[in-house]
Amino acid sequence: MTESTESVVNISNVWKVFGEKADDAIKAIKDEGIGKAEVLERYGCVIGVQDATFDVPRGEIFCIMGLSGSGKSTLVRHINRLIEPSSGNIEVLGRNVSNLNESQLRELRANHIGMVFQHMALLPHRSVRDNVAYPLEIRGVAKSKRWAVSDHALQLVDLVGYEDRLPKELSGGMQQRVVIARALASDPEVLLMDEPFSALDPLIRMQLQDQFKALVAQLQKTTLFITHDLDEAIRIGHRIAIMKDGIIVQIGTPEDIVMNPADDYVREFVQGISKLKLVKAHSILEPLESYQGDLEGAPRADEEADLDQLIDHAVGTDLPVVITSNGQDVGVVTKPRLLRGIQGGKEQ
Amino acid sequence: MSDSENSASVIAASDIEVDHASLDASIAEFASQNGDYYAKQFHRIHSSTGLLPNTFNWMAAILGPVWAAARGVWGMFWGFLILEMIAWVQIGRGWWGDPGANFFERAAGQRERAEGFLERAEAARAAGEDPARFEKLAENIGNAAEKSEALGQAASSEALGILLAGLGLLVLFKALQGFYANSIYEKQFSRWRIDQKMAESGVKPKNILLGIVLVILIGPLTIYKFTVDSPLEVLNEFPEKQVSSVFIDSDKATLYTELASWLEQKIDNAAIAGAGAFDGITASVRWVLDALGLALIGTPWPVVMLVICVVAWRAAGPRVAIFTAASLAYIALLGYWAIAMETVALVGAAVFICVIIGIPLGIWFGKSRRAYNAAEPVLDLMQTLPAFVYLIPIIAFFGTGNPPGILATIIFGMPPVIRLTSLGVRGVPDTIKEAAVAFGASRFQLLKDVEVPLALPSIMTGVNQTILMCLSMVVIISLIGGGGLGKVILEALQYAAKGPGLLGGFAILFVAMVIDRIVQGAFRRKDQEL
Repeated sequence: MTESTESVVNISNVWKVFGEKADDAIKAIKDEGIGKAEVLERYGCVIGVQDATFDVPRGEIFCIMGLSGSGKSTLVRHINRLIEPSSGNIEVLGRNVSNLNESQLRELRANHIGMVFQHMALLPHRSVRDNVAYPLEIRGVAKSKRWAVSDHALQLVDLVGYEDRLPKELSGGMQQRVVIARALASDPEVLLMDEPFSALDPLIRMQLQDQFKALVAQLQKTTLFITHDLDEAIRIGHRIAIMKDGIIVQIGTPEDIVMNPADDYVREFVQGISKLKLVKAHSILEPLESYQGDLEGAPRADEEADLDQLIDHAVGTDLPVVITSNGQDVGVVTKPRLLRGIQGGKEQ
Repeated sequence: MSDSENSASVIAASDIEVDHASLDASIAEFASQNGDYYAKQFHRIHSSTGLLPNTFNWMAAILGPVWAAARGVWGMFWGFLILEMIAWVQIGRGWWGDPGANFFERAAGQRERAEGFLERAEAARAAGEDPARFEKLAENIGNAAEKSEALGQAASSEALGILLAGLGLLVLFKALQGFYANSIYEKQFSRWRIDQKMAESGVKPKNILLGIVLVILIGPLTIYKFTVDSPLEVLNEFPEKQVSSVFIDSDKATLYTELASWLEQKIDNAAIAGAGAFDGITASVRWVLDALGLALIGTPWPVVMLVICVVAWRAAGPRVAIFTAASLAYIALLGYWAIAMETVALVGAAVFICVIIGIPLGIWFGKSRRAYNAAEPVLDLMQTLPAFVYLIPIIAFFGTGNPPGILATIIFGMPPVIRLTSLGVRGVPDTIKEAAVAFGASRFQLLKDVEVPLALPSIMTGVNQTILMCLSMVVIISLIGGGGLGKVILEALQYAAKGPGLLGGFAILFVAMVIDRIVQGAFRRKDQEL
């Protein structure tokens, strides 16, 4: 998914501990490995983020998944420095966020980072158009220009005709699209999405997820997407980071996470996920050399084919499906392998 | 999800058995002494469905408030202490008091005065004047004395009745305590189950001691004071002079006079020291007032009337406009025009200054919790202190007339706009503020684009309340030489002139109603826009 490997957001060893004795607490966690209960008891501190390190290349949608209180919102708020880290390094577009002075920080926020919030946070006394234009207004863009940009952004999210309404006149799903338009209006390189679709009903949520994914692909925005819903993360994300108690437990592609959960916590999450669209042929195939049997007339599929497609191939025949890579036969997917794959890669 | 191991089996509500054992332990822990007794009584309360109590606690009935104190039921302690005291005072009055004493005393006094008049009649006769007037007076007073005596006799004969009534009351209150003690104690038990710190439990020696001491301190003294004819002087009145003489070695000076003259001196000194600053404040207030006065009184009256009516129509609709026109006609026809406009100027100047100072202060208090905590007692003071009290220092510092009057009005009228502004600013959702910050808003942009617009409904309510407070205050400032309609009322009051007073009162009422209607109408429209 990444044409270039240029890193847009780079987070290394970021810690955030809330409380007065944060430094002592971090030292104790590092040296003694104490848990959050003990940190609270001994230092009166609450762990927000514990030693987070990752790198988001340009154009990627990077999902951060975790339950409420797992520190995902805290982590993302470090990127535009709504929260100061206790320690660690945060780079956005090659600039160290912690070293910016106030006006530089405002410039970074206004020009390069857009943010979408779960609680829409629209200004109730402004029209939809003026809400979308607000980031530009902060930047000091002239009214005619910012109205034009705002109308264009509203077109992107399919809200033509609602420009002069007040936010309260719009439904929840439409308001959320206004919020997305607002984040897009300033044409930032980085989008931070804090559970943008959580408050919406499932149908509208799916619709918006697809719309959003297409939009981001088209505009090539680097996106950090927070969610507590693994289905959503899998639908949207190129890569997913799973957080628990402030720690990033696992980072990987949706397929990685589903097929090779790092621990029981992730495994429990993954259990209920449908693998049909996730698992690709290459991760369940049996090498051609080890397969002994007749492959005469067997159906063929590319190694990037998912389980859903493999099932389509497999139903018409008793033979296994032959998997090809660049036109070469590399392996086969037998019926037992296919069924196990649907179950989520259990031991054969 | 896996099946839970400890699932409770489903039972129909009618088949559920009451499990006494676990509750008994809890009650025993709560009561600590006589746990078994209270467990039994509480169960009876729990199993009764009637309204009337079905238990009787002999200890509570006999010991009364002391039982309540021992068990830490302080509400019951104070309630029944007072009630029992009433009963005991009646018993005391009936037993050894003399209920007719007051009347006899009065009769004696009247006899004495009658004799005095007779003497004067005698003297008049000796001087050759007509004694009839004094004799008549003496006779009248003598008759009154006889009546008093008869009343006294009647009262004395009532003593037995009072004694019986007192005894009856005592028995009634004891019975009430006996019947209700367990119910009240059971309620305390329920509270104690919720939070053990919230309700007292068990029998604590400290509580028993406190109860007994309170009963001994309050009971005998009260009964003594109410039943004895001439109680000790010290109980009638606080011995202020004697206490003062402990602190101040002087016959004439008391704590009160010393403190008052010290304060007076301090105020005088401060007034002299700060004369320049106070004069400056007075001058700037006068400037605002004069500008408004010039606009309202200097402009030809038809113009002002027209403008007011049009504003009323635009802001609040045709009905308020008609009401406004009628009110203005009343004011103008009765010759109150100039003086009413002076009142409007006074209110306008006070509100203007309140808003100019109050909104920025309110925003500051809204953003800084610490500043608000520091300011809150001052705001409370400004609102609760009777206006008459701070008129005095205002005279000392600013003299009399309209500007000091406006200052007094400001003190009274400013708290609402400050409070409601800070409330509005504090009520702006953090999420919206965070969003603005995330888009790079500076602190000023945050204030201008988010905090003030979102707090605006609350700020407008504050301004409206301030206007009403100022209106009610402009009448009072006539006491320190303020002009306007208040002066009309004050003069009418001084000469008990009913007609002018009422007419002036209605003029004020109409001014207030017109201002209130217009402002509310304008704000409602603004509100609907949001």
